[in-house]
Order: sequence, then structure tokens, then C-alpha cells
Amino acid sequence: MADTHTDPSTSLVALRSLTRRFTSQTRLFGRRRVLTAVSDVTLDIARGTVTGVVGESGCGKSTLARLVLRLLAVSSGSVHFDGTDLVSLSGAAMRALRRRMQMVFQDPYSSIDPRYSVRAALLEPLHVQGLRPPRAEETARVEQLMAMVGLNPSLMNSFPHQLSGGQKQRVGIARALALQPDLVVLDEPTASLDVSIQAQIIALLEQLRQDLGLTYLFISHDLSLVRYFCDRIVVMYLGRVVEILPTANTPPRHPYTRALMDSSFEPDPQRRRVVTLLQGELPDAFDLPAGCAYAARCPGATARCRQERPDLASEGAHALACHHPLN
Amino acid sequence: MGRIRGSAPGRALCTWRGGLSAGCLMLVALAALLAPWVAPYAYDIQNLSATNQAPSLAHWLGTDEFGRDVLSRIIYGARTSLSVAMAAIGVSVLMGMCLGAAAAYFGGALDRAISAVVDLTWSFPEVLIALIFVAILGPGLYSTMIAISIAYLAQFSRLTRAQILAIKGETYIEAATSLGGGHLHIVFRHLLPNSLTPVIVAGMLATGDAIILEATLGFFGLGIQPPKPSWGAMMSSGTAQIFLAPWTIIGPGVAIALAVLSINQFGDALIDALDIRSKLRET
Amino acid sequence: MAFLDVHDLSVGIGPLQPLDRISFALDKGQILGLVGESGSGKSLTAMGLMGLLPLIGGRVTGGSIRLDGTELGDLSEPTYRALRGRRMALISQNPMTSLDPMVRVGEQVDQVSRMHLGLSGAAARSRSIDLLTQLRIPDAATVHQHYPHQMSGGMKQRVVIAMALAGNPELIIADEPTTALDVTIQAQIIQILVDLVRLRGLALMLITHDMGVVAQACDQVVVLYAGRVAEANTVAGIFARPAHPYTRSLIDCIPRLGQAPGSLKGIPGVVPGVGNYAGGCRFHPRCALAQAVCQQQVPPLQTRGQGRVACHFSLVATDG
Repeated sequence: MADTHTDPSTSLVALRSLTRRFTSQTRLFGRRRVLTAVSDVTLDIARGTVTGVVGESGCGKSTLARLVLRLLAVSSGSVHFDGTDLVSLSGAAMRALRRRMQMVFQDPYSSIDPRYSVRAALLEPLHVQGLRPPRAEETARVEQLMAMVGLNPSLMNSFPHQLSGGQKQRVGIARALALQPDLVVLDEPTASLDVSIQAQIIALLEQLRQDLGLTYLFISHDLSLVRYFCDRIVVMYLGRVVEILPTANTPPRHPYTRALMDSSFEPDPQRRRVVTLLQGELPDAFDLPAGCAYAARCPGATARCRQERPDLASEGAHALACHHPLN
Repeated sequence: MGRIRGSAPGRALCTWRGGLSAGCLMLVALAALLAPWVAPYAYDIQNLSATNQAPSLAHWLGTDEFGRDVLSRIIYGARTSLSVAMAAIGVSVLMGMCLGAAAAYFGGALDRAISAVVDLTWSFPEVLIALIFVAILGPGLYSTMIAISIAYLAQFSRLTRAQILAIKGETYIEAATSLGGGHLHIVFRHLLPNSLTPVIVAGMLATGDAIILEATLGFFGLGIQPPKPSWGAMMSSGTAQIFLAPWTIIGPGVAIALAVLSINQFGDALIDALDIRSKLRET
Repeated sequence: MAFLDVHDLSVGIGPLQPLDRISFALDKGQILGLVGESGSGKSLTAMGLMGLLPLIGGRVTGGSIRLDGTELGDLSEPTYRALRGRRMALISQNPMTSLDPMVRVGEQVDQVSRMHLGLSGAAARSRSIDLLTQLRIPDAATVHQHYPHQMSGGMKQRVVIAMALAGNPELIIADEPTTALDVTIQAQIIQILVDLVRLRGLALMLITHDMGVVAQACDQVVVLYAGRVAEANTVAGIFARPAHPYTRSLIDCIPRLGQAPGSLKGIPGVVPGVGNYAGGCRFHPRCALAQAVCQQQVPPLQTRGQGRVACHFSLVATDG
């Protein structure tokens, strides 16, 4: 069991043995296949912190994000938000609670209804939660939100197809903040943006966190970005947590984390990487192997690794699931 | 005025195609509405000494086999055709969208049930369905409307269902859920508005078809009963004297063509106006 | 004379002039990085080199493109077509859409061999499987029969690279080949491209917005902004002593190991659209060092040491 040092009642989000399975469609002949997208994840997110979840596409991090917000149902395990058990909450109660937990989505091109102007998109959360300002104040409120994310108020009546990727993403952030949430889950918010726009958005997110006292759950496949932005880093592989780094600068001890680090290119030609540590791609999460899921790609895998799955063990605040950790 | 111009129908009206066709439709609709005042004669005044008269000053489109003024009958006939077609299609679109949306949104057993029933009606030609219902309910105005509604239901239901299935998985739908949007909000504020375009196309085209369907039923004497005029019935009785008095067929035929053409053209203009990416749109 | 020699290339689309006098040179066995944000003209340059501008209603309005001494601007379309895929190949930005979804991937690679090298069906097939294996696709013979939708983004991009290699080109233009991919897959693809250049002696023009990729892979760098060359230099030179403020800002956009939180700033503003270029230096509205002269005069491209820079106040002191 990892991360039991944090008292669950003080965490903003507490996940316990969270699992989510998907079953493939029944075929006429042949058995159903079960995909375990998230497997036995136990994690606490403290108020006011930035927790990063990092891993390749298909590792379950996006699924995890949606489980935390109950945009997906849980197969087993529990999710507590500020002490409230989300799994047993009724639909209406959940909708009301959503005020306090919002999401910024990965793809700015499809996260805003193409028929909604910026103004309509920013008023929607208020409308849905019954917090609509009086007609006369609507424009002021929208302008305030736009100013908060650095959008020119002249764009208020523009439609998504008239905005750049960076501008759309700012609208997504403003929309998430309209309800003044406690928790903001950021699902790879800069993945489809140029690095220069990415830097702008990250700087904006940092500023907003300080100004508004937000708690972030930041999902990404880019470890160097996560190391810059986050206080704490959770590394996932095929649905499981394989390492939790207590600070951004903690040297990784799991071979997978090490390999992820080596995939990020430093902007320095003197420090070129030799990309050999990570070969191939993430396998399907169907029919997971018996032992360590990473053994197939790990250069240091032994027979024990292939047979016995390592548990997530804590050493202080640093958690690790590996039989042969580095250093 | 700005808000009217800014809306999709408003923009459609500002184009040549949209404006002209809408104007034409308005004329037809006005004529139908104001028939008692616009038509030179009542539709059932017979004058057996002046049957099958060619167009003249007294009778601009001539008279039919009972001496009734053709123009007046066409004008009164517009009431039938337009009201039946538009009402029937209107109801059909509404019912079809509800069914299709329910099937697509909730999925599962409800979807299978609705789709089964809808696909069943889909497998019959519209004329046949209309005939079946008229046979059950007896001929007349309301049974014609009901028959036409049901005949076209499948089209709108399937279209709506397909559209909604296509966009159900879009991120902005997920975003609406994450904001706390309930089922109604998502269906009426996101799914349906984004599914409207093909349904409106289909609705427009179907209205044209429905006018023809009503005319067909009328042609076989199964629609509106005489002496109330119906364009189709007029054409039917006109076939008997097609060489003697061709105006009795040409008149209602042209009326049908004009009405259907205007509706289709306005539908096209509306499609263009609904396309928010179109360069015609002023922001 | 360099293998690829581009001199004062200008491109127009309709009444607009998106590219203005771009010059650079690339030799075999070298990797040139063409860097800039979206909208800076990188893809247009690639299309200009490949002679594909008419597809988007554009045309070369000035300058020359020489491939191994041959002036490409003078070529007729049939001659140009024979070159494309055979001596110069393009790897497009988005592997998701570069492949025909209705055709098996192996068939798409085969087509290139058959068309450009005149190979028979069986020979082309075995060559394709060979190429896919070299690109580290496991079980290439089976993958050869797959459809694009059965493959991940990284695998699809490898197939696209195989298609580019199938004609045995000497020049490859890779237009943001890893933008849509995870960093781990990006690292592998970049490694594959670098290995290809070293092993086969190809010339590679790598188009990207990511200075990290440039630092990892490139020998020479050309920085584009709003259709003009801002700076050009060797990779060592450009990172050690970036002369143009834009280059400096681009480098600063990548988070470094141990960088203090709050220090990542990005470049204020956005790349202007083609009709909205500023007068004088096109970068001046976003530049921290901008002065009155920047608005009035277009800075000329001047030589600085091993490189060139177009800035009135370049960050490097003029050395002799």
C-alpha cells in the first residue's frame, strides 16, 4: 500500500484500489476480452498541490483522470473527494458536486461545441449549475473570465473555428474556472500545441494556481514538462502505478521512469541522448501478463520479473514497484 | 432586426435563392390563407353551361368539367396541400427526432426496440404506408395527415440517430457532462442542435415529397374528399379531358411544381445559412 | 556546391507573399533543422521544394532551388513528378491522414517501389518488408497486411517513412514527423531518422517547432519567422550563442532539468497571419528588444561568425 502517510481525510482526493475494466464486444464465437485500463491505484492528492501523472498513451492516465471526476464509472475501489464518496453519490448530487471539480481537455479542437461562441461556452457552466448572472451582468462576467486567461475580450462572439489552438485552450481553461472549482484535472492540455504556446499556457496555469489556490492533477506523456510543473510525480504503466516521485527532482529508480526521462530531449546539443532504453510501444492492456507488466521491454528483466509482479512499496514518500530498482 | 438577421433563417432570406424561394412560398401561403378573399370564385360553384372553358378574362385559368373556376380551386387547393404537407412533416420531424435522439442517447435495449420499429416502417415505401393508414382510418384530411406523418417518420428518426451517434463521443459532450450538465441539457443544448442540419434538409425535401404524396392520394380519391379541392384530385379528374381542356391539369401541376421547388430551394438556402463556417456568414 | 541549394526562395499564394527570400544549403549526410512556430512558413517551404505549391494555389515567385545542380524551378511537371519519391521524398505532418485508410499499408509502400524502381509485385513486397523491419517494426510480414486503423500512431509514422525511403531518395523532407506522437515514440522516430542519415548518407531536412528535437538531431539550423529567415547557424553555434531574440525565446520554451518553477514564460502574442505581417522586422511586435528602427526597416540578413542573423540588435556582439 503506498501513500498511506497522508491522512485520507485531509486529502482533497483519495483513491483506494481503483480499478476500471472494459469488456470488448461479444462476438458470435470466441470469448470476450477484458481490458484493464486502470488497475489497483491507490493515491492521495493533497490540497493546493500539483500532482503529475505521466506515462505513454494507453497507460491508463486519461482513464484515471475520468475516474477521479466520475466521468467514467468505477469497476472496483473507491474515489473520495473532500471526504465524500463519489461512487455512491446520486446523479443529482454528483452534478452539484461537479462545481468543485473541473477538467481541461486535451484536444482544444473538439472540446468546445462548434456552435457555441466563446461567450456561450463560458456562460454554459454557470447556466448548468444554476448560477447564471443577471442578463445585465453577463457580459461583464464573461469579460472577467476572458481577462483571467489572457483572452482579448473582442473574441467574445467568435466561434471555435475562428480561434487558434492556444486561444481555444484558454477558453477551455476559463470554462473550467468559471465555477471556481477546488480541483482542476488537466488532461494533456498542451499536447497538441506548439512548444511556444505550450509555454504560455503552462505559465498561465502556474499563475492561476497561485492566484486562486487551485489543486491540479496534471496528466501528460512528457516527463520533462511534468518535472517542471508538478510537485509530485506518479508514473503509470499499463494501468498500474510503478513509481511515485515525491519531488520533481527526485532521481527516478524505476527503469521505466528512467527510460521516460531519456526520451525527453534537452535543448542542448552537448547533451544528446542515445535512445536505446525504450524500445517498441506499450502493449495492449488486454490479458495482462502474470509478472511485471514492463518486463517485456525492460533491459534488466529477470525470470523473477516475468513471474512475480512487484508491489508498490514505499520508502518514505517515494513509492516504487520494481524488483531491481536502479541505484 | 439585428437578431433576426443574425439567425440562420434570417441569413437564408438575405440570399437570392433564399429570398426568392421564400417569397414564392409566402405568396402561396398567403393565397392559401386569404383564399376566401383572394379567389375570384368559391371553389364549389358549378356552372354547367360553362364547362371546360379555356382561360379568359372571367376565368384566368379556365373552368373544369363542372364549370368551376380552376384558379379559385387551385388557390383553395393550396390550403390542402400546404397544410397537410407541412403539418404532417412537422409532426413527423418532431416525433422522429425524439425517437432517434432517445435511441441514440440511451442506447441498449431502448435503442434496439426503437430501431426495430422504425426500420420496419422504413422497409415499406411511403405510398404504401400512407395507403395502409388511409385504408384503416378512411379517407379525409386527418387520416391523410396521420398517414403522411408516419410514412416519413423512419427517415427522420434514423437520420437523427445516426447524427447523434456520430457526435455522442465528441469531447465537448464529455465537457458538458463535466460541467454538471444533465441528460436534458446535453440532448437539447448540444446533441440536437448539432444534428439539425441533415434533418432539416430531409424535412424540406420530404415536404416537397409529401405534397406529391398527398396529390397521389388525392389522385386516387383517397385524400381530401370532394368538393374540397386538392391539387392531386384536380389532376386526376383533369386526365379525363387532357386534350379537351389541358389547363385543368396544367394549372394544378404547375402549382405543385412551384410549391415543391420553392420549398426545396429554401431548404438549400437554409443549409448554407446553417453552416457556420460558410464565408457568407457575417459575424 | 551543396546537394540542396535554396537561394532567395519566395512563395506567393494569391495576392499574398507568405515566404520572402529564404536561403539555405544542405549536404548529403547532414540534417538541417527548419524551425519555427506554426504559421511561420515551414510547411510552405517543404511544399515549394517538392513542387507541390499548385495544390494549394501557390507558386514560386522568386529565387532558385537547386537539387544536385539541377534547377527545379525550370522543370516541367512530368519531370518534377519523376523526381518526387525517387530522388526527394516528403514525410508529411500527420501520419493519421497520410495513409489511405482503404488500402493495406504494405501495398502503399509497395506502390512506391513499383512506380519508381520498376520492381515486380513480389520484389516490391519483399523490399517493403525489409524496409519495415529496418524501421524496427516487429513482425513486418504480418504488419504488411494490416490496414492503417489497426496500427498505432508511431507504427503508422514508420510506414510513412518506409514509403519515403522506398524510392531510394537522396533527400528527405520530414515535416513535423513527430508532432502527433508521444515523446517516447518521438524519441524513437527521431533516432531512426538520424540513423538513416548516418547509414545511408541521405540529406534530411527536419521541420519542427521543438528546439529540443533540433538539439538532439540536427547539424544545421534555420529559424523561420513569419516567412523570413531570422537566423541560421550550426547547431552548436545557435544554442551556445543565439543571435536572434526569437531563437533565444524558442530555446527558452523547453523546460530544462531543474528549471525553477514560474520561469517558463513562452513568447507573448501569436504568429501573425499572412495578411497581417508587421512592417519592418516582422517579429518586432513580440520582441522585448524592439526599438523604433525595428518597425521602420527590414533587418538585412547578415553574416555573424558561422551563421547569419536578421536583427538590428542581435544578441551576439559583432565579431570580426
